[in-house]
Amino acid sequence: MISFKSILLRCYVVLVFAVVFAPIIASFVFSFNSDRFPTVPLGSFTTHWYQQVISDSEFWEAFRNSAITAICTAIVATIIGFSAAYTDYRYQFFGKSVYLALGLLPPTIPLVIFGLAMLAWLSRLGMSGQSYSVFLAHVVMCTPFAMAIIRLRLSQMDESLEAAAWNLGASHWSALRHVVLPFVRPAIISALCLTAAVSFDEFAVAWFVSGLNKTVPVVVLEILQGQVDPRINAIGTFVFLTSMTLVVISQVFLLTRTTKS
Amino acid sequence: MLWRAPLLIWQILFFVVPLFFLVYLSFWVVKNYRMTPALDPVNWIKMLSRDYFWSAYGLTLTMATVAALLVSLLAFPAAYTLAFKVSARVRQLAVFVLIIPFFTSYLVRIYAWQTLLAENGVINAFFSLLNLGPFTMLNTPIGTMVGYIALTLPLVVILQTISLANIDRSLVEAAHNLGCGKLRTILTVIIPLAKNGIIIGMVFCFILSFGDFVSPYYLGGSKPPTLSILIIDTTKAGQQWPKAAVVAITMIVTLFIVAIAAVAAAYKRPGTR
Amino acid sequence: MNKTDKSDSYNNNRRKILKAGAAAGAAVFAPYIRTAKAAPVEINILSWYGLGEPDMVAEFEEANNVKFKPKYYAGGDNMLAALAQSPPGTFDLIHTDAEYARILIERGDLVDALDPADYPFDDMLHEDFTKFPGHWKDGKLYSVICRYGHLGVSYNTDALTQAEAMSYNAFWSPKLAGKVGHFDWHLPNLGEISLLNGNTSPSPFDIDKAAWDKVKEKTLSLKPQVKGYFDYGGTFASLKNGEILACAGIGDWVTAVVAKDGGKVASVVPDEGGIQWTESYSIVSSSKKKDLVNKYIQYCLSPEGQVKSANMAAYPGFVVTQGGENALIKATPDEAKRSGQMPGLANNPITLINEGKIHYRDTPKQQTLEDWNDFWSEYKNA
Repeated sequence: MISFKSILLRCYVVLVFAVVFAPIIASFVFSFNSDRFPTVPLGSFTTHWYQQVISDSEFWEAFRNSAITAICTAIVATIIGFSAAYTDYRYQFFGKSVYLALGLLPPTIPLVIFGLAMLAWLSRLGMSGQSYSVFLAHVVMCTPFAMAIIRLRLSQMDESLEAAAWNLGASHWSALRHVVLPFVRPAIISALCLTAAVSFDEFAVAWFVSGLNKTVPVVVLEILQGQVDPRINAIGTFVFLTSMTLVVISQVFLLTRTTKS
Repeated sequence: MLWRAPLLIWQILFFVVPLFFLVYLSFWVVKNYRMTPALDPVNWIKMLSRDYFWSAYGLTLTMATVAALLVSLLAFPAAYTLAFKVSARVRQLAVFVLIIPFFTSYLVRIYAWQTLLAENGVINAFFSLLNLGPFTMLNTPIGTMVGYIALTLPLVVILQTISLANIDRSLVEAAHNLGCGKLRTILTVIIPLAKNGIIIGMVFCFILSFGDFVSPYYLGGSKPPTLSILIIDTTKAGQQWPKAAVVAITMIVTLFIVAIAAVAAAYKRPGTR
Repeated sequence: MNKTDKSDSYNNNRRKILKAGAAAGAAVFAPYIRTAKAAPVEINILSWYGLGEPDMVAEFEEANNVKFKPKYYAGGDNMLAALAQSPPGTFDLIHTDAEYARILIERGDLVDALDPADYPFDDMLHEDFTKFPGHWKDGKLYSVICRYGHLGVSYNTDALTQAEAMSYNAFWSPKLAGKVGHFDWHLPNLGEISLLNGNTSPSPFDIDKAAWDKVKEKTLSLKPQVKGYFDYGGTFASLKNGEILACAGIGDWVTAVVAKDGGKVASVVPDEGGIQWTESYSIVSSSKKKDLVNKYIQYCLSPEGQVKSANMAAYPGFVVTQGGENALIKATPDEAKRSGQMPGLANNPITLINEGKIHYRDTPKQQTLEDWNDFWSEYKNA
């Protein structure tokens, strides 16, 4: 009897996973489908949409913009995230909760609103539509993720470890370099990958501030607003592969830690 | 101080100041498609006196609330199974897998849902095999809701699973030993113990749905439009950025009130209820 | 990532690399490899979707060693916003609707005066095109017409007959309950309702308060029929997959593309009259590539440019010159015939203009654009 209920529950879990992954699988299947608006039964097999995307220089340029933005964002967001996480771990000071809120709030602000605010502000400064505009915004949005991941790792470090290094005569810096950094390295790699994935996927704020320096998700949004066609799915395959790889690496590094500790 | 500086500088310059600038912007005036700095409450008066603003506000609030409740309900049996019915390894793997789509191109997934939900789409083709339908799902509130679910379900399942898995098993066993039925155990022991995770899941679902503009536009046919669509419409319409700022600020204030109320509810000390 | 170091062998291999299908590394380097060859001049164009796509610009790019970098917008207000939010010098060429060209020109410092002698004004199919309202200011030309189209009733041919579609009243037909779509922009939609209410003289956009109230009332009565409000992509998809059976505020520019893709749709200019959209080019004053940009405008108005525009993949536009029409009839006779761009056809767009059935789309004259937009928001929320 237990088994019947458990089986039912397990089936439900499988159903939830199916719903979550259905669009990803569908998008992959449709990307090889000749019909512009896929219906069942499917049309014939084609690599037409991939050819179109691959031969489109605009796509490659967007891909390059996305890659550069994601890499720069990941590095800067992880550095800021580390310093903030370390601050939280090591120091007590007046207004710390406000400080932490500042670090963690950005994901709760709707993208449209942040995009609007960012565009208004950057264009006031004459900094909108530049190659670095999206990067400036993405660092704000990605830092909380880096901060959370690194803080989690720090909380698993024996607090006396760093103090012991100080007692042995290590300077603050060298204790940090030889004790703290090696310990949080997996979290740093994890944060780099995750923030790169977030930046690589972000479309709304990028749409507002990118101007002519479009990223891949902005191109997808423009196709969706303009001439909808399965090129979106073909691009989707590239995007899925990239972000999935990044998220998987990120998690593998997070999990190595759990099993070790 | 050195360690504090990077976050402070960056978030103030590119997060706090832009948001406050938005507040300032809401008092500017637009003449002949040009925005001029001013301190004029005209945008607030105009926007807040429009019926369509309040109907969009009510609609967005309702949709986000329904999404929060619905997604939490849909997520619970799955989270319960993952927390109690499978091994820790499987649970870890499940969370691992569920995190992936949360960070994976929402736009492309929504486009896929568009083709799945259409009148002659894949889902209706499936129903027609059962001699059912076709059902109209695309360009209705149902479509919008599907988008919200796609956006938030993985996250809510993860949050619930983690908080359920952290429940002290002995408490659950004790309830069983005292003759408490399965369902009653869930309702009176498990859910109260996992309250924080469940509420935080709801809050995240609410926040994400409340601000999303992709689902209501591409799956809901923007009929009726939500506040986020109203923002985009307003920016498109003759440089009415100040009015869009009014809508944006109203949304942020609403989100803060909801989040603070929910967190207060989650961390309310037991015994005060 | 030093692009200058990349030798020519990379260029030769470029196609092979791209064809081979691109590892992530190649993906990042590909644009460098492409640009390393001769560093084409970049022309930044602010336009409606599709004007900067390869089917329009590739030939010109190849011949003149330029590269178009498009920023697409949807709707004139959107265009003004994009322009205002970008630093001066961002764009070289603006492609816009005539009524918004007027706004650009009124601003005084955004776009340059042009030399009419540069363009085939003596070859225009209609006299109006040579002195299009709003394109001239103080006797100077600032914006050149390049294509246009007509808006009316767009419908699914399984749902309506052409005869039924010949009136805007068709949108209220019980057959279309819950199946009428709107292109999400107030001007064309409200313009059509204004025509239905008989506001033809002087213009459906020049109406007094009483007429405006009637337009609002009539529009609101359509609400129960409405399926949704769509951008171009959404309109296109919904017509194709049967989500909507008729659509207001659009015309052949959408249905031609859907039909080409196998959809059973068509557009007509109904008896109450139709709205004309008119697109034109202007050169941005802060551009540093004006000669090249002007050369491109001339190319667009040449017969071959006109044929490209009439067959544009994103959305077709009628030719504006006689030379363009002749070339179109020669190059793609089927398309010329289908769209009426041949002498003597009943749906010939020039004939329709001459019969007085066509009204140029415009910004509201007696209300502000804000009033119209405000009402549109109200309607969407009704």
